[in-house]
Amino acid sequence: MLSVTKNQHTVGLLVLLAMVVAVFSFETIAYAQQETTSEAIPVPSPGTDLWRSIRDRTQPDITDPSLRNVSPRKLAKDLWVEVNSADGDIVGQTQVLGPDAGALINTLGEQWRQFRMNQLVPVAGYVLGGMLIIIALFRIIRGKIRIKAGRSEKRVKRFSLYQRTTHWTVAITFITLGLTGCILIFGRSVLLPLLGGDVFGNLAFAAKRIHDFVGPVFGIALVVQFILFIKGNMLKPKEDLMWILKGGGMFGSHASSHRYNAGEKTWFWLAMLGGLIVVASGLVLDFPLFGQDRADMSLAHIVHSSGAILILAASFGHIYMGTIAMEGAFEVMATGYCDANWAKEHHDLWYEDVADRVEPYPDAKDEHKSDVVAQTPSGA
Amino acid sequence: MARMKFYCDAERCIECNGCVTACKNENEVPWGVNRRRVVTIKDGEPGERSLSVACMHCSDAPCAAVCPVDCFYTTDDGVVLHDKDICIGCGYCFYACPFGAPQFPASGAFSSRGKMDKCTFCAGGPEETGSSDEYRKYGSNRLAEGKLPACAEMCSTKALLAGDANVIADVYRKRVVNRGASVLDWGVQYQNASLRETSGLSGKASSTD
Repeated sequence: MLSVTKNQHTVGLLVLLAMVVAVFSFETIAYAQQETTSEAIPVPSPGTDLWRSIRDRTQPDITDPSLRNVSPRKLAKDLWVEVNSADGDIVGQTQVLGPDAGALINTLGEQWRQFRMNQLVPVAGYVLGGMLIIIALFRIIRGKIRIKAGRSEKRVKRFSLYQRTTHWTVAITFITLGLTGCILIFGRSVLLPLLGGDVFGNLAFAAKRIHDFVGPVFGIALVVQFILFIKGNMLKPKEDLMWILKGGGMFGSHASSHRYNAGEKTWFWLAMLGGLIVVASGLVLDFPLFGQDRADMSLAHIVHSSGAILILAASFGHIYMGTIAMEGAFEVMATGYCDANWAKEHHDLWYEDVADRVEPYPDAKDEHKSDVVAQTPSGA
Repeated sequence: MARMKFYCDAERCIECNGCVTACKNENEVPWGVNRRRVVTIKDGEPGERSLSVACMHCSDAPCAAVCPVDCFYTTDDGVVLHDKDICIGCGYCFYACPFGAPQFPASGAFSSRGKMDKCTFCAGGPEETGSSDEYRKYGSNRLAEGKLPACAEMCSTKALLAGDANVIADVYRKRVVNRGASVLDWGVQYQNASLRETSGLSGKASSTD
C-alpha cells in the first residue's frame, strides 16, 4: 500500500517536472521571438541620420566644417515631427493631473484657431451686417406695415401673462447674451482700439462673467417658452407653403394664417431647436467640471458660436417685425391683447377661431393699453 | 537681441521632474498649476522617451492670436508674456496652444477659471521689474538678473536647455555629433550588436561574448 503511494508520487513528480520544462522552453522561444521583433519598433530619435553616419564611421570628425551645414533645427524637430504626424494626439504618462496633461501636441488647436480667426470673426461680421442691410432695404421698399382698415374699437386676447413673462425673460437674457457674446467676438478688433487695454479688459471680463451666469437662466426660460408656445406653431404644410409662396402677402393675394404664420413658425423652430443646441454647447463650456478636454471644448465652442450667430441674425428680423416694422405688433406682447383689425389682417384664420372672444377696449381714450389693464379678467 | 528658446533633449531626459519642482519653487506656483510638466511616451516599452514641456514661446503664438482681449505680448528676447490685469480667463489660449501651456488656477462652475498662468521663461511680467506685484502675479524675473530659467539651470542631466536659440542649437549640434563616438567606442559596440543579431544567434546580445 505504501509502495503504491510512493510510485504514484514519483509519477506525479515526473509529470510535473515535464510540464515545468515544457513551459520554460515555450517561454524561451517566445522570448527569443520577442527579441528579434523588438528591433522593428520605430524608436523616435532626433538626429538619427547623423547618428547612423557616425556609427558607420563615415563622418567622425566633429571639427569638419561641412557639419556646419547640418541644420540643428531639423535635428531638434525630428521627435516633435514624429509626435505631430501621428494619428491623433500622442498621449504619454505624466505626473501632472488634469485633462490633456499627457498629450504632447494638441493637434486640434491650430484648426480651432483657423476657425475662430479666419472664419468665425469675419463671417459673423458679414452675416450680422448683411442682415441689417437686408432689413434696411426691406424698410425702404416696404415701408411701415400699417393696419389697412385702421384701428378698430375692439381687441382680442392673444398672449397670457405666463407667455409674456416668459417671452420677455427670454428676450432680455437673449439680448444680454448677444451683446456680451459680440464683445468677445468683435471687441478686440472694434472696441479695443477705442477703449485701450485696461478699460476694454475690464469690460470684456464683465461681459464674460455676465455671459457665464445669464446663459443658464436663458436656457431654463427657453425650455419654458418652448412648452408655452408650441401650440399653434405646429407646421401645417399646405397653409404654410401658400403663405411662403405669397411672400406673406407681399406677392399675390392675401396670405391666410392661423395663430402663427409660416414666418413666425420658422423663427419659433429656428430659435427653439437652434437655441437648445446653443444652450447645450454653452453648458459644456460653462461647466468644465466633467473632464471635458480641449477637443470637447473647442468643438462645443464651434457649435455654440456658429449657432448663436445664425440665431442672432434671425433675431434682428424678429425684433424689427415686432417693434417698428408693423403697426399694432409690439402692444400684443406688451399687453397680451391685439387689435381686432390687426388680427383680421395678419391672422385671419385664427381670428375666425376666436371671434367669440373679441371684446371692446376697457377705456376707449387709452390707445396704448397698460399691463394692469391686460391683467384684468376678460371674457370670463 | 537674443531669441530665447527651450529645447529638451529626449536622449537625456530621465523623467526626474526636477524641472517641474524647480519651476514651482522658483515662482511660488499655486496647487494645481503646472507651468512645466514631463511627459513620457512609450512608458516601459522599447523606445521610451521623456520630454519636459512648457510654453515654447512661439514666434507666431496661437494663444496671442485667439485672445479676445489681446493680453499677450512678445518681449525683445522673444519671450511670450501676458498681462493678468487684462486676461478674462476665457480659456481660448488653452484650446489653441499646441503644447498645453496655459494653466488656470480653478475650474469651477460657471466657467470660473481665474486668470491664466503660464511659463514666463522666468522673465516676470508687465509689472515693474523686480517689484513684489510682479513676483506675486508672474513669479521670478531671473532674466532681468542675468540668469536663465530655473528649470533648465536645475536640470540634472542637462537635458533641458534654455537660452539664446543660436547657442542652444550649437550645444545640441555638438551633442548629436559626439553621440556614439566616445573613447569607449560605443559606436563599434552597437555595430557589433547588430551584426550578432543578423548572424542568426538568439538570446541577449550581451550573453554571447
